[in-house]
Amino acid sequence: MDYPGAKLPPQARPMAKVQDEVGHAQLLYSAAETLGKPREAMINDLLSGKSKYSNIFNYPAKTWADTAVIAWLVDAGAIINQTTNAKGSYGPYVRALERICWEESFHLKYGYDSVVYLATGTPRQRAMLQDALNRWWRPLMHFFGPPDTQSVHTEKLVRWKVKLATNDEMRQQFLDMYVPKIWELGLTIPDPILHKDPETGKWVYTDPNWEEFWQVINGNGPCNKERLAVRRFAEENGRWVREALRPKNAHYVTPLA
Amino acid sequence: MTSLDPRIRRAEPHLSQITEVHLEPLNHWPTYEVFVQRTRGGHAQHVGSLHAPDPDLALVMAKEQYARRSQCVALWVVPTHAILWTSAEDEDLFQPATDKSYREPQGYLNSRERLEKYRDRLKPIS
Amino acid sequence: MLENLQTLILALADDELFMGHRHAEWIGLGPILEEDIAFASIAQDETGHAQAYYQILTDLGLSTPDEWAFHREPKAFRSAHLVELPNFDYDYAIALMRHFLYDAAEKVRLQALTQSSYEPLALLAKRLQSEEKYHWLHARTWIERLGRSTEEAHHRLLAARDLLWPYAWALFEPLPNEPEMVEAGWIPPSSTQQQEWVSLIQPILEPIGLWKAPPTEAELTHCLGARHGVRSPYFDELYAEFTEVSASEPNADW
Repeated sequence: MDYPGAKLPPQARPMAKVQDEVGHAQLLYSAAETLGKPREAMINDLLSGKSKYSNIFNYPAKTWADTAVIAWLVDAGAIINQTTNAKGSYGPYVRALERICWEESFHLKYGYDSVVYLATGTPRQRAMLQDALNRWWRPLMHFFGPPDTQSVHTEKLVRWKVKLATNDEMRQQFLDMYVPKIWELGLTIPDPILHKDPETGKWVYTDPNWEEFWQVINGNGPCNKERLAVRRFAEENGRWVREALRPKNAHYVTPLA
Repeated sequence: MTSLDPRIRRAEPHLSQITEVHLEPLNHWPTYEVFVQRTRGGHAQHVGSLHAPDPDLALVMAKEQYARRSQCVALWVVPTHAILWTSAEDEDLFQPATDKSYREPQGYLNSRERLEKYRDRLKPIS
Repeated sequence: MLENLQTLILALADDELFMGHRHAEWIGLGPILEEDIAFASIAQDETGHAQAYYQILTDLGLSTPDEWAFHREPKAFRSAHLVELPNFDYDYAIALMRHFLYDAAEKVRLQALTQSSYEPLALLAKRLQSEEKYHWLHARTWIERLGRSTEEAHHRLLAARDLLWPYAWALFEPLPNEPEMVEAGWIPPSSTQQQEWVSLIQPILEPIGLWKAPPTEAELTHCLGARHGVRSPYFDELYAEFTEVSASEPNADW
């Protein structure tokens, strides 16, 4: 908007980010649906607990600094994850991922911008930011999944070229790209042994507690129940709207790839 | 449940009363395929699908899901069921079985050569 | 004159600010993904409009948009009570009916402002019309369809209409010193705008059984005073939430 002096209002930025995420759900459900599974079936699987989703969404965002850290570092992780998958071969999925990656790069910039405001702000803001990072570090380390030695599906998925990098490879990439940037802001990372080995070029870190990861993935994280309860609520609360407009005599056809 | 999110707290007690949800087929409406025309004079391009109850709402919702950022001058929506399509198994429908270069420019590369030969034959014998 | 201009612009801006905020409360909770996305755009648009209106005052040497939004006393706001109302029961009928009644008023208001003798307002109104066109398309498409659909939908829309009716009419409460603004050619009288609004919404609501007579004076009284600094009972909670982050560290940048 080139109206003189107008900048994007601060409140509109998180609105745009969350809207994008809802949009990503829509794009990915649509891509998946082209393979023959109706969206209702996928949502039923989610709500019944049958489908798994990323561990990272089961933690609470306690402060504004949490949303900044999430927008920067969780979205950074998501980009690393998705960029490798975007080189795959299924058209609708690739098309969705291209757009998703582009939008995530806005989230990343927005997240980093928010983080910088806090890091260069008042002592209280800096403390809020450090506290948020301390709480989100372990979930971030879990984000790319278990170590290659423990990951059940990776070998098969890599062989079929569905997954183009292993969990550890993606984790290394994340650390390589973002640890220096975190340190540059004057923040500390709650891992006393974290450093890059000059000989191997690999980051050495404390192995995060994988027991916690499995608990969270299987429904026992801080927010799993709430996340699903909210999804159930949204679906049920909107049911009358969807039923009111559902065309009579409609029949289902798989969307086109 | 005491959520940190006041919006979620405000949805109580109703929210916690919903324990099981099952969506029957077509609960989320049928689908429409969306095409975006990026510039005037450009071709409309298939960009994906969405769920909508009728064409007007499909257009209204497609605008935000498929064109809120993208350069776009026009939008088409078509009910998925209105599109007929050939399947991957029938890809061979599009392969010619015999040489049909007679309908391509490169099927006619010999005209010049023929003319040269003819002109050579006509040259006077000195 | 500056004080009148400020009153006018704050009424416009504050309506947009809180309408955007209330619409944004639906993000992630909408009845279906596609509509969630569409409604979120409308929320962002309204927020952007508020910013643009405040900017007119900033350009005149007054406070910045952030200061207008985050650092005012309740009685300094000029928002209509309609936009302060919560999303009661997360009832989408209320969300849509409010959106319909409000955006019809916006359509009328913006069209009038494009003729304003105060050029910055006229120019801004012209720009905002393209987004407002979408809001109106969205609102009327939904109401026309839902109003003709099931008994349950109609029943909910009727209840929403009853709840919102006096608040919607109170959108056109005359501004303080309005005759001077009209005299200066800034805006037409609120009563004229209200008539246009009625002629816009009645032909849509009547055929689907959602029209009714204007509210009585008695019904209107508790909705009035907004343009003079009287806030609705919902304002304090709304504003506390709205300013939660900015208030936590008042002199900070975010």
